[in-house]
Order: sequence, then structure tokens, then C-alpha cells
Amino acid sequence: MAAPTLPRPQPDPQFVLRGTQSAVHALHFCREAQGQGCQLLLSGSLSGLVHVWSLQTRRALATLDGHEGQCVTWLQTLPHGHQLLSQGRDQRLCLWDLAEGRNAIVDSVHLKSVGFCRSTVLARAPPRWMLAMPGGGNDEVEILEMPSKTSVCTLKPEAGAKLGMPMCLELWQQADSSPRPRLLTGYEDGSVALWDVSERKVYSRIACHTEPVMGLDFDSQKSRGVSGSAEKALAVWSLDEQQALKVCRTHELTNPGIADVVIRPDRKLLATAGWDHRVRIFHWRTMKPLAVLDFHTSAVNCVAFASDGLLAAGSGDRRISVWSLYQCT
Amino acid sequence: MAVFDTPQEAFGILRPVCVQLTKTQTVENVEHLQARLRAVSDSALQELQQYVLFPLRFTLKTPGPKRERLIQSVVECLTFVLSSTCVKEQELLQELFSELSACLYSPNSRKPAAVSEELKLAVTQGLSTLMHSAYGDIILTFYEPSILPRLGFAVSLLLDLAEQEKSKQIKIAALQCLQVLLLQCDCQDHQTSLDENEQKQLGDLFASFLPGISTALTRVITGDFKQGHSIVVSSLRLFYKTVGFIMADEQLSRVSKVQAKPAVEQRIAELMTHREADWVKNTGDKLAILIKKITECVSVHPHWKVRLELVQLVEALLLKCSQSLIESTGPLLKALVGLVSDESPEVQAHSDQVLRHFADQKVVVGNRAFADILSENLHSLATSLPRLMNSQDDQGKFSTLSLLLGYLKLLGPKINFVLNSMAHLQRLSKALIQVLELDVASIKVVEERRWNSDGLSASPKESARPWNQIQRRYFRFFTDERVFLLLRQICQLLGFYGNLCLLVDHFMELYRESVVYRKQAAMILNELVVGAVGLEVEDLHKKQIQTSPEELREIVTSILEEYTSQENWYLVTCIEAEEMEEELTVKQSGLHAITSGPTFQVTSFPDLPKPSPTICSMNSNIWQICIQLEGIGHFAYALGNDFRLLLMSALYPILEKAGDQTLLISQAATSAMMDMCHACGYNSLQHLINQNSDYLVNGISLNLRHLAQHPHTPKVLEVMLRNSDASLLPLVADVVQDVLATLDQFYDKRATSFVSVLHALLAALAQWFPDTRQPQEQSLEKEGSHFSWRPAALEKGLDNTTTAEDIEQFLLNYLKEKDVADGNVSDFDSEEEEPSVSPEVDKSDVCPGVEPLLPVQTQIAKDVMERCIHLLSDKNLKIRLKVLDVLDLCVVILQSHQNQLLPLAHRAWPSLVHRLVNDDPLAVLRAFKVLHTLGGKCGDFLRSRFCKDVLPKLAGSLATQAPISARAGPIYSHTLAFKLQLAVLQGLGPLCISLDLGEGDLNKVADACLIYLSAKQPVKLQEAARSLFLHLMKVDPDSIWLLLNGLYCPEQFTPPHPSLCPVQLGGAAGQQTPYTVNVLHLLKELQ
Repeated sequence: MAAPTLPRPQPDPQFVLRGTQSAVHALHFCREAQGQGCQLLLSGSLSGLVHVWSLQTRRALATLDGHEGQCVTWLQTLPHGHQLLSQGRDQRLCLWDLAEGRNAIVDSVHLKSVGFCRSTVLARAPPRWMLAMPGGGNDEVEILEMPSKTSVCTLKPEAGAKLGMPMCLELWQQADSSPRPRLLTGYEDGSVALWDVSERKVYSRIACHTEPVMGLDFDSQKSRGVSGSAEKALAVWSLDEQQALKVCRTHELTNPGIADVVIRPDRKLLATAGWDHRVRIFHWRTMKPLAVLDFHTSAVNCVAFASDGLLAAGSGDRRISVWSLYQCT
Repeated sequence: MAVFDTPQEAFGILRPVCVQLTKTQTVENVEHLQARLRAVSDSALQELQQYVLFPLRFTLKTPGPKRERLIQSVVECLTFVLSSTCVKEQELLQELFSELSACLYSPNSRKPAAVSEELKLAVTQGLSTLMHSAYGDIILTFYEPSILPRLGFAVSLLLDLAEQEKSKQIKIAALQCLQVLLLQCDCQDHQTSLDENEQKQLGDLFASFLPGISTALTRVITGDFKQGHSIVVSSLRLFYKTVGFIMADEQLSRVSKVQAKPAVEQRIAELMTHREADWVKNTGDKLAILIKKITECVSVHPHWKVRLELVQLVEALLLKCSQSLIESTGPLLKALVGLVSDESPEVQAHSDQVLRHFADQKVVVGNRAFADILSENLHSLATSLPRLMNSQDDQGKFSTLSLLLGYLKLLGPKINFVLNSMAHLQRLSKALIQVLELDVASIKVVEERRWNSDGLSASPKESARPWNQIQRRYFRFFTDERVFLLLRQICQLLGFYGNLCLLVDHFMELYRESVVYRKQAAMILNELVVGAVGLEVEDLHKKQIQTSPEELREIVTSILEEYTSQENWYLVTCIEAEEMEEELTVKQSGLHAITSGPTFQVTSFPDLPKPSPTICSMNSNIWQICIQLEGIGHFAYALGNDFRLLLMSALYPILEKAGDQTLLISQAATSAMMDMCHACGYNSLQHLINQNSDYLVNGISLNLRHLAQHPHTPKVLEVMLRNSDASLLPLVADVVQDVLATLDQFYDKRATSFVSVLHALLAALAQWFPDTRQPQEQSLEKEGSHFSWRPAALEKGLDNTTTAEDIEQFLLNYLKEKDVADGNVSDFDSEEEEPSVSPEVDKSDVCPGVEPLLPVQTQIAKDVMERCIHLLSDKNLKIRLKVLDVLDLCVVILQSHQNQLLPLAHRAWPSLVHRLVNDDPLAVLRAFKVLHTLGGKCGDFLRSRFCKDVLPKLAGSLATQAPISARAGPIYSHTLAFKLQLAVLQGLGPLCISLDLGEGDLNKVADACLIYLSAKQPVKLQEAARSLFLHLMKVDPDSIWLLLNGLYCPEQFTPPHPSLCPVQLGGAAGQQTPYTVNVLHLLKELQ
């Protein structure tokens, strides 16, 4: 990618969405169900509301209220059908039907955990999909087969491992080999573990942070992943053929605290949400720092990329900034 | 009136005269016959036609010289007979035709005989009548090849008459006669319907005359304008009827290749022409020359009927002979198109109608050759256009441009052939750009200033203006408004029919290319977009609009981006703006931006470090911005409700311009916003701003980050705040924090604009969140007041019917209250920090340990007030004044949150004291106002501080200044000292009320100000002092009464009861003192 230098030392967001009226904790891009399929941005706020923003008019189209005023921590649309999953701290995962302008909860799953750990989904043969969420035990992860809600298994580290709570989850499967679902989990003790879901065992585990892992993302093509934690460093690790995790490098940051890390869908950029109010952009292959997006006046809680490369960042200052960075090629 | 109905009777009376005439051929006898004929009915005459004609023809045929008079009367008589009868035999027709023609023929030459005009007229009319009277069937047999020589002879004779004669009557008669001869008469009873073959035969016959007729007529038509319009009209009509008949495509298409051998003798056969392809080509070429001559000459003919006839000529020829006269199409169309914008409405209407008809019939579009010719014409016009625009006067430009417009209209969608040729597009655009050049020399444009700051009050309904009415422009190359109108129409048509993307690209390139083209290119772009939607264009081609709404929106978006980009939107339009820029970028101190007024002389600034912008360049910049603004309005109009999506990028820059100082710019911006309101369905500007404040907030917050590049951002925020309601607050809350943060960064440089934003913000907050508890609380305060008995006492104390009981009660009350008062005063002394809060405020602070979450507006007011404390001591007086106003509003908003207000008031106090004690009089007054408000909200807190910190100083300065002002002359009122005295005197009164000062302090105030009641003081100070005492009287009427009476006592007091001793007050009655007037005045008020 021929990365052009930024025109000004202090880049501006393309626009800012206001009106959530409370801190933003979850963001997710999707396409509108009907018509032209305009880009939508979903945001979940501390006050338990999910706002549906039209990026065309830059205004909220709808507000979904389903978490009884408790913080919405995770939002994800399902690839088939126009359904939205939202996770709230009211210990509920709600499944919304957004097709044809409907805003109704069609199903919900009870969460046994009260933590901040975000769930993750893996699409299987439609309409089936797999859901991983923090489980009832302190260190457990529960895997459900959806939409039937049948429990597949519970992943529990061996006794005495003392990994602490799962902090972040990422389900994926290898594209080429037999599709065996894997789960990457970041734990409270700062380690990242790779689980084989069907065999319920840990393939590999590395301790890459000394503080709890706050966010991770994995690039299954390059078999490389990145994790951020409460400390002052980003860790990039890779997965070899023997399914062993290995730390490639760590990247020192000026300020501690990464709330979220996301790799852009074209796997060229990496964005981190910092507690220092800043979003940092890295070149994903080289981990070269490209930009520091300084706009928010409070900690950035989440970042999300759209399929066309648009970046959104949600912060405690109740604003969502939308950035147009090095266009997707 | 026919007397003799039967042939027999008629014969009876006609016979003698006929015999008589045959015998002696005299004029008298002929007249005799004619007189008798009048009494015979038409039917009877028809029977006797041959008989009656005989003597007349005999007379004509008699050899030997005849008197002209006789011939004339014979011809007239003959004409009379023919007009009432019809000729049923072919021989008779032929013979009569020959005989009549021969009357004008001099045997010696082929020229018409030199006979009298009357005779010529008579013969011509006779011929006409003869042809009319020919019975339907025989007329066709008359036109057989053998008649050709005789017919040709008559035709040339008549043409000679039409051309050579002096008499208008004869000329017209000859032309009409020709028309009849060629069977093209347009009178009602001579309509001969011919079938195709007959038409072709006649055409073949007449073709021989075509060269002669056409050339002769051309000479007549292009002759002197003075010959009279009717002759030219008739000639034109004859021309197109004849040409249209002979050259009709319909006939020519049926002419066989080989000439059929006509069964006629050789001599005649030679005269016959065969209209085969070559002949048509040749004739067409020759006619083209003539037609070109005719159109050129006639299209500028001064009489409108002639031009109208030309339109008909064009219509007839183009409809009938479009193939045979292909060479002439160019000139014909040019003439027609030119006449579309003729000054005569009849001509205009008709040519318009003809054009429409052509378009309907697809004459142009359906015909390749035709379209080619038009494109050719447009090509050549485009080529010569720049030169023409340079050299022609307004009228010339007008006709050239109407021609261009006509071509565009006719060609319709086919103009793209021309536009696709880069060379031609360039020529066309160069010409448009050249002619649209604005005159930017006027200084008025630069000078005119907008004065009122809230010009956004107009709602679209109030000022319902047609959307396309635009600001008056001054062009370099023309002054006629109609030319501009034409140019706009041309551009709109281009946008409508042309390839919009291509055109927009082209003109955008020109726009970017040079500042010289920029304004014109923008004007053209604006009209192109309007044209593209086809709202204003009258469509001749029933074209479907090609540009889809999405495409159009994209095009508009790109233009909009270009218009509002940094380098095209933020132009230097006045010197002040430039200084601001300098101030920001070069960080040059010294020059301040608030200096200049509207009459600011730009030229008087020769020593500026940078080359100052010339008036021309500023004028040009102003126009550019205006045109771009107008364009945005146009775009809104063109896109309609679709424009809503563009509001997010368009509204902010426009709002920025709406607040521009330059009158023209702010007007243009306001009207562009009106257009937006109309387009997007908002019923007022406020509505527009209010509904789209989220977009505005976005722009504001982003631009605040780069304040140096966007110095107007605070202005926009201000305008937005003024036009919104409380629903805006959640959106704007974070921006306010940004503003405050930016203010903290730019305290020294941009404080002026920020302070006015803060003012707007707090004014808005105060308006959006009026304190509903206020009245109640105030009444509570009143009840709890220590002096609540006073109103009653006031009434009673002044009552004359005072009883001993009243006095006793009064005294008791007084003692009791005095007790309470003393107790309270000691309370205040020991615990002055503790505010006397009303019970309600107590309730609101439920849990003392936890800071309750403040409402947003309170938080904002608190933050702002904190900044105000710093800014109170700014160097700039204007800022200080504004800050005092802001502070005032802060207090109003914070009044219900004493916990927040009091500490802040505490911190603000020292600098507020400074404002009161040693500052400009204006600041002193404002500071008093703040104190007044503050006193109303937390009076107890302030009272003691005021009495301790401020009052002594003020009283002291009043006292020391008093002798000076008493002695001073008239100039004193211009001094600072005077203004300060005035300010203090004016400010103290209301303050005493709101602070509810105690007796001792009141006395201090009264004592200090008493001297100002002296008549020696300047009048204004006396007035101020009087009003001060009026205020004081509201607080404590009794002591003031006593005080005043101590100065001057107008009356003696008799005690209400003899047991009381009489009262002697200080001021002796009757004795005139300097205080008398004012004291009397005040005492009167007291009663």
C-alpha cells in the first residue's frame, strides 16, 4: 500500500456522531437490510441503549433498548439474515431482528458471567452458528450451538493454572484444513491461550502480558494475532504449524492501557483504542506506527472498521468519531 | 337590385346598347352598356354573356389606333361582366386572355406599352377576374403546354409591372394577378383542389417561369424599404407559394427520369423544362443564393408584418421543400431562429409556434441532413462567437445570443455532437466566459456593510421571492439585462440537453484554471445544474431527463466541495479580514481588528507590509463568494428534498457567510438558505438551523480544532445558539467544553469572539431554562425580610388621620423590630460566610457528603463563570464589558444552585471590586448591574462585603469629587471623572434595593450622595442623585424623609397630639438653599 503522508500533523475525524448521551462501549458496522444497503453503524452505550446510525445522514435511525439500563459491551450482526446480537451487563445476550425496520428482540441467552468479557461468534453452515461466551465458573468459557442454544461444551483450564477470568474471546477456524473451530482467549493474568473447541483442550498458551488482556484480534491468513492489555505494550504473536503460539514482538506504547484492538478487514491496518484518549494506527505487517488520532477527551473504549475501511472509535466522552484513513485498496 | 331577372327582359334592354356600341365605339356607349348591365341579374347575364361580350371584344379587336380611355372603359366593362358570370368555354377563356394581355402590349417591343396607369390597373384586374371566372374544369385544360408562350408573356408582363411601376396599387394588383395566374390565389372562392397528377403537370408547366419569377421577386423584395410593406409581403407570399409549389418534394419525387415526349410542337417543347435531379440541384443552388439574400434583407426589415411573412416563408419552404432546397436550409433556419426573439410579440409567437411545430414533426431530429446543417450552423456560430461578443453592441449580442439559443432549442439532444468536439466546446465556453466577465471596479460592493447582527429573522414566507431572482450584476461587456437572461437560458439549455458530466467537467477545469475565469465558470455551472433538472427549460423535444437524481447529486456534491474548499471559500473580502489573518499567522501584535468602520478608506493604507489587496480583487472575491452562494441555493432548488443529504456539508459554510460583514455576501447567504428551506421543506431559517444543528455542531467542533484556519467558527456557534432550543443542549455540551478548552489556549488572541460566543451561549441557556422557582423564592425572601412591616407603615405613616393608638402601635412595632434587627446584625457579623439559604435550597441538597450530578446547563454556567473570573481583568475594555454581561447571565442561571454560585461569587469578588472601584465608567455601570443581579440571588452574602470593600471607597470618591464637579464648567461633562460619578450615582440606587442594605449603610450612601442634590452640580448628576434617592426611599422612606427635611423643610409640623412637643427639623422652611428644588421634588414623590 502506498501510504500517503497525512496532510496535517493533527488529522480530523471525517465526522463525529453525538447523541448517545452516555459513554460508548461497543461499535459495529453493518449494511442496511433493505434498499441500497447503506452503511450503518451500531453503537452500544453505558446506559444500555443501542443506537443505529445511518452513515449517509449521520443521524440515529433507531434506538434499541433491551438491557435495562446496563452497559452494552458487545455488538455483532450475523452474516445471514439481518440479526443483531447485543451483550449487556444485565447478563443477557439479546438477538434482535432488524429486517424491514423491525427492532424486536427475538431471542435471548442468559449469561452466567457479570464481567466485561465480550462474546464471539463463528458462522457455520447457515442458519447455524457457534457462540462463545464467558461461562459460569470464574475461568470458564461456554460454547453454544445456535440458534438452538444447545451447549456444546465448557472450556475450563486445567486445575491450578490460575489464569483468572477470560477477558476477551475470538472464535475462528482454519480456512484450508478441516474446519475445526478454534478459540483464542485472553486471560486476566495476561496470557493468551488457543483452544481446540472440539477436543476441549488448550493447544498452546503464552504469557505475553503482565496485566489482564483487554482485547485481541487474529489474522487467520497470516496466522498472526495481536493483543493489548492494561500495560504499556502491544503484543504480536504468531501461530506455527504445530499450533503453538509464539510471541513475535511487543510494541511499547507511550501510555498504558489498551481497551480494544482491531485489524482492518483487508489486513493492512491495526487500530488500538487507548485509555489515553487516543486511537493509534499501525501498519499491520510491519507494526510501524502510522498515526495517532487525537480527538476524544476521555478513554476510547472501542474501535471498529467498516468493510470499506472507515474507522469508528467510541469513547467515554459520549462521542463516536468516524475516520477515513488510507482508503482500502 | 336586379330588375331584369329573365334573359328575355334583359336581352330587351341590352340589345339597343350593344348594337349602338358595335356601331360607334365611344366611351359613352360603353358606359351606357355598363349602366344597363347593372340592372341585369347574374343568371340572366350568364345567358347573355357571349352576346354582351361581343361588342366589347369587337371594340378591342378593331384594328387601328384607339384611344386609351376607350380601351380602359371597355376593359372595365368586360371585367364587370366577367365578375358576375363564369367562363365555360376554353376557347373563350384563351381568347379573352390573349385579348386582355394584348392591351398592354406594344406591338413594336416586348416591353409593356407606355399606356396610362389606369389602363394598366384595369387590365391587370381584368386578367385576375378572368382567371377567377373560369369554370372549374376548363381551367385545367387552359394550362396545357400550348398556352406556354402566351402565359409566359403575361407572366413577364406582370412581373415587369410589379417591378417597374411606380404606383403601389398597380404593383399589388400585378402581384395578385400573378398569384391567380399561377393558381396560388388564396381567396376563398378560388380554391381548386388538384390531384397529384394535375399538380405535377402544372408544376412542370410553371417550372419554366421559375427563374424569371424568383429573380424578379427577389429584386422587389430586397428593394428599398420605403416601397411599402404590403408590396414586400405580397412578393414574399408569391415567392414562397410559387417556389413551394414548383420545388415541392412531393412532386419532385414523382418526376420520372426520362422526359415523356409531350405531344406538342417543337417550339413549345423547347420551352418546357423537365424537373429531373440535375435541374433540381441547379435550381436549388440558384434559389439558395436568392433565399439567402431575401432572409438577410427581410429579417431586419423594419415592419413586423414583413418579418411575420418571412416566418411563413420559412415554414412553407422548410415543410414542403426540405430536400430540394437543402442548400437553403441554413439561412432559412437561421432566419427563423433569429426571429424567435423578435421584438414584435406576433412574430415571436409565430416563429416560436413554427419551431415547436418543426420539433413536433421531427423536421430537424428526424432528418439527418437537417440536423447536420444545424450542427454546422452551430459550429460556425461557436467559432465566430468570441469575436462577435467582442465587437458587437448590446443589440448585436442580443441577436447573436438569441440565435445561439434558437439553435440549441432546435437541436435539442443533438447538441452533443457539437459539444463532443473539444474545439467547439472550447470556443463556446470561451465566448460565454468572455461575455460573462463581471465589472469589478466598483468600491460600493466592498464598502457596503451589514449592520444588524441578527439578520436571520426573515422566514421564507415573509420574503417570498422567486427563487431565481438574483442579485444585480454589473458586466464588463454589456449592460442590457436581457442579454444576461439569454445567457442564463443558454446555459440552462446546455445543461438540459447536453452531457452534464462533460460540461461540468469542462467548466470545473476552467474554474480551477484561472481566477480570471472563476466567477464566470461558477455562474455557468450554477445554471447548468438548474437546467439539468429541466425545471425552467421549455422542452421542444419531450426529452426524458437523462441525469439520474443520484448522478446529479454526485455532480452537485463535487461542485459543492470545490466551492467550499479552503482556497475558494475563505477569500479576502475586506482589509479587516486580512488583518485577522495576519494576526493569526504572523502573530503580529499591534494592529487590532476592531478599528475600522464602513467608510474605511482602503487606499489610505499604502504602507502595509504585505501588498494590500486591491479594491478590484476584493470586489472580485466578494462576487465569487456571492455567485458560489447563489449556486448552492440553485443546487438546493435543483435537488429539492434530496438536498437534505448535502446539508451536512453545505449548511456550515453558508452559515459562516451569513454572518459576513459584507452586505452582499450576507444577503446572498441568507437567500441561499431560503432556497434550502424551500427545497428541503423547512418553514423558516430557524427551523432549518434547529433541525440540522447536529451537522453544524460537527463542523464547529472540528473547526475549533484548527481555529487559525477557521476564525469564524465561534460566529457560527453563536448564530446556531441564537436559533435553537433546549433540545440542542445535549449535542452542544461537548462542543462547549471544546470552546472553553480552546479559549484557555487562546486567551490573548481570540478572546473577543469567544466571549461573544459565551454570551450567546448563556443567553440561550437562560432563555431555555428559565428558573421557575424564582418568583416563589423571591416572595419567600420578602416574607422573611426584616422590614416586612414597612409597606403598611408607609401607608399609615403618611395618613393624616393618625390616632394615638396608631402611634403607640407604631412605636411598639418599631421597638420590637429594632430588637430583632439588632440581634440579626450581630449574627451576620459573626458568621458572614454562612449564606442564609431558603429552606427549599436546603432540601435540594439531600445528601451533604455526595456532590449531586449537576444539570448540564448548570455545569456549563459554572465552567463559564470560572473563565469569566479570569477574563474580568482583560486589557481590552470591550472584552471586560462583555465578560461582565456574561457574568450577569451566569449568576442568573446559577441562582438556584447556591452551592455552586457562592464559592464562585466569592472568587469573582476581588476583580469585581476592581471593576467597581477603578475602571472605565462603562465597566462600572455593568459591574453595578452584575452586583444588582448577584444581590438579588445572594444578597446576604454580598451585603457585608459590599459595605466593607466597596461602599467606603465609592462614598469617599463621591464626596471628594463633589466639590470639583460643583465648580466645574460645561466641559466637565466630557471628563472621565464626571462619567464615573454619574455611573456610581446611577448604579448605587438599584443596588441598594437588591442588596437590601441596612440602615447604617443606607445612611452612608445617602450622606455621600446628598451633596449631589445641590443645584450647583451638573444637571445630569442631579438627575442621577434624584433617582438614587428615589431608590433609597423604596428601601427606607422614613429615614430618607428625615434626611431630606434636614436639608430643606418645606412646612411646619404640628404634632398629632397636644401632649407631644412640636418638631423642629434641620432645614428651615422658606429659606432658599441650593437643595431646595431637588428636595421639594423628592418630597413630592414621597407623598
